[in-house]
Amino acid sequence: MDDDMSSIDDLFDEFDSEVQRKKESSGSGTPADAAAPPPPPAPEAEPASETAPDAPATETEYMGQAGLQVTGQARLEAAFGSGEGDESASAQVAQVASSATGGTIFHQIYRPWRGELNPRWMRNWAILRHHIYGLFSKGHRPYPLMTKLVIFGVFISSLADLGFMALGSITGAEEIERMFGISRGNLYGHVLAFWFRNACSYPIVTALIIGGIISEDRQHGTSALYFSRPINRRDYAMMKFLSVAIILGVIIIFSLCMYYLGGILVNGEGWSYLIDTSGMFLAALAAAFLLVFTYTSIGLALSSVSQGKFFPAVAFLGIILGTKLVAFLISTLFDRSAIYLISPYDNLAHVGQWMIGVNYTYDHPAVWSLVMLLVMNAISLYVLSARVSSLEVTRE
Amino acid sequence: MGDEIIIETDKLTKNYGPHVALDAISISIKSGATGLLGPNGAGKSTLIKTLLGLIQITSGDGKVLGYDVRTQGDLIRQRIGYMPEYDCLTPGLEAIHQVRYCGELIGMNPEVAMQRAHEVLEYVGLRDQRYREISTFSTGMMQATKLACGIVHDPELVICDEPTNGLDQSARKFMLDTLFQVVKQGGRSILMSSHLMDDVERICDRILMIHEGRVIAQGRIDDLKAIDREIEISVWGGASRMEQVLSDSGLKPRRSGRVMRVVRVDDSTYDLILECAVKAEVQVRKMEDYEPSLEDLFIVIMERLGYGVKTSADLLGQTPKGRDIAPANRSLTGGEA
Repeated sequence: MDDDMSSIDDLFDEFDSEVQRKKESSGSGTPADAAAPPPPPAPEAEPASETAPDAPATETEYMGQAGLQVTGQARLEAAFGSGEGDESASAQVAQVASSATGGTIFHQIYRPWRGELNPRWMRNWAILRHHIYGLFSKGHRPYPLMTKLVIFGVFISSLADLGFMALGSITGAEEIERMFGISRGNLYGHVLAFWFRNACSYPIVTALIIGGIISEDRQHGTSALYFSRPINRRDYAMMKFLSVAIILGVIIIFSLCMYYLGGILVNGEGWSYLIDTSGMFLAALAAAFLLVFTYTSIGLALSSVSQGKFFPAVAFLGIILGTKLVAFLISTLFDRSAIYLISPYDNLAHVGQWMIGVNYTYDHPAVWSLVMLLVMNAISLYVLSARVSSLEVTRE
Repeated sequence: MGDEIIIETDKLTKNYGPHVALDAISISIKSGATGLLGPNGAGKSTLIKTLLGLIQITSGDGKVLGYDVRTQGDLIRQRIGYMPEYDCLTPGLEAIHQVRYCGELIGMNPEVAMQRAHEVLEYVGLRDQRYREISTFSTGMMQATKLACGIVHDPELVICDEPTNGLDQSARKFMLDTLFQVVKQGGRSILMSSHLMDDVERICDRILMIHEGRVIAQGRIDDLKAIDREIEISVWGGASRMEQVLSDSGLKPRRSGRVMRVVRVDDSTYDLILECAVKAEVQVRKMEDYEPSLEDLFIVIMERLGYGVKTSADLLGQTPKGRDIAPANRSLTGGEA
């Protein structure tokens, strides 16, 4: 490489020396002079003008008439008519056009903002609102249409016992009134009894809601938008938890309250009835809160470990329904109910039976189920906390 | 603008177990536009997270806009706008609502955030696309939306992580012009991390270069360029003789044909070159100070650190492997930071 470079440099040197020799022998300046460019061209002639006042009249000709000066007046009049009378005419013209800059359609101007920023609770409220309002209006968290329809359907179905009770009261059918009226068993049944609405609808709704609630932040990188702002991870997780819990609460807890209130209003019950039944209602309410809390914590834990919304939803259904099925099969074989401790649903049902005071359907003590529920919730919250801490701002 | 120190750290250290991510970094960045350069794994992301007050530092101190990075992260993030490198937008949302939500997360009232979202989306050139879903956006429009999210609350400092990543030529130019206007017209400061030297040179007047968790260069780009300033000459009639005479005179010429570059020691270097030309009997047709680019500066710094690179892309695009020919603990500081 160096050799090549030096040979090229030598060629340059030889060329320079040759030029120098020629210059000395000719004595007529530099090669640059020899190859001097031609003299500069004469200045270009002025473009022909329509008015040539300096030209002799005899050399000009316009439309066959020699000696007539070319002014363009004839062509102007041919195009636009005679100029006669223009002095008295008036025309309306745009006044703003003269001030506009031709061709400018986009001014990029930075506008400062000097407003006040709200405190922490307002930021948290924004997160909560974003997730809940998304069910009802555009501009907030986008939920799929199917999710909205299923939530609406389950909410309506959760008010079914209220509807039947009202029907019985209106028609005076005692059989219907007795079947759907306020009772210990019906309050338990509204929240936890093993039939389609409680055992399938509530888990399905939970699965649809929690599916992408955290996992999509990880998938789309939206966690960066939260944590590069004054949102701490505890607030983030709490608001996500609260959002899911409120939506589930509307379906489960609100419908329970409506059922109880409806029972009082429809049947025209008085204070004594209220005093007699408020205890079991509060117990059912506590069981419903426990149900909502447990489903939310398990669901969010699953959502936080995933990057899509399919896995958390399927895993949640698997945990709720799968453990129930496995426990049922094993307990049938060995005639022992303790295996139901692996099932969150059965633990909730068992604790609910204990709280509301209905007959137990399990052989093992209710305290075991309560302890298992606490353990399950603790594990779920730990996983949620750990995974939310791992959400990145700069790169996943 | 220009004299106020917005970021200041003193022996800032961050360890992840045995791995030292930031090694006693002491920086002082004034308001304006500053480029953050460094290879992958140099510690740029850790530094950004530290400046945002998101991670606990191991030792040392740091202040951003006067707030302590250890204890006042929330206040720092209220006054900073951050534009992430990677996708961070909700695909199903419309741009206007995404930006409004970002404003609300900072603490703006919903109505104010909405009004401001309109303003900043117009500013970043998305006026007619405000009500389009982000999932239908091109890369350039997404980058513009991210910038709008970052400046919705008119922050004093905007941290941009690879703002021109994936953009075509026209979108890149618009993004750089917009950032430039944020600094010049808006009077805001920018800390811009980028792999593209041209982008940094176009926007920033200062750089901060880190490598293996340490600062290897910081200061004004012009000052840093002046560290190894060269004089470029074009000779006629004996370039080889001229090269030899320059070498004999103690100057170290770099030659390509008739063009040579000589390291400028001081003002007397010009006279010395002319004396050499007389001695070598050659004509000096042209003599001027060579204006190096940021790319040249980067290559010089990396050569000093022992990395054989031809372009910045060699190093910035991948984790570097050092040649064991020079110690990697030197640092450059170009004037004020």
